[in-house]
Amino acid sequence: MGAEVVTISTDTQFVHLAWQRDEKLLENVKYPMGADPTGNVSRMFGVYDEETGLALRGTFIINPEGVILNSEVNYYNMGRNIDELMRKFKANLHLSKHSNEGCPAKWKDEGDRTLKPSAKLVGKVYEALQ
Amino acid sequence: MTREEICCGLRVGQQVPDFEIDTYEPTKGDFGKFSLKKAKKAGKWTILFFYPADFTFV
Repeated sequence: MGAEVVTISTDTQFVHLAWQRDEKLLENVKYPMGADPTGNVSRMFGVYDEETGLALRGTFIINPEGVILNSEVNYYNMGRNIDELMRKFKANLHLSKHSNEGCPAKWKDEGDRTLKPSAKLVGKVYEALQ
Repeated sequence: MTREEICCGLRVGQQVPDFEIDTYEPTKGDFGKFSLKKAKKAGKWTILFFYPADFTFV
């Protein structure tokens, strides 16, 4: 969808090469696999675990201007939901083109109803969502 | 990097400092570098997906 996806762990790029070649589930991986053995980038985003030397499961969406718009961090044993990531990314794309709108809680995809914040909407959000 | 960044990590709404990271690129079968500066210049959104370790589960 036009985003640069980069995965990052504290493994070196050599381990990434070996893993991508070895694991069938990774056969179709097309994105760059980032290597952060010093933990510098992981620390920048607050996901570096000093005790283990590993990165937590963090996802960050950064706009073309370099601003972080979303952050989600899970502890080791909980995977992330790609559908949710797609939802957030699509919402970000929509909002970047319609800066006077808001994506309400149930927004899932392009075409879903959005809100146009204004004085008229104050106290009338229920009606706006019908 | 400011002290705030080192102790708490970047927060939503903050500007990410330009950084580069070594990569393995499966489409090329070779090593490369990802540069946030380059992605920004190309007008692209960037999604960073951190995870603990290769050869593990979840």
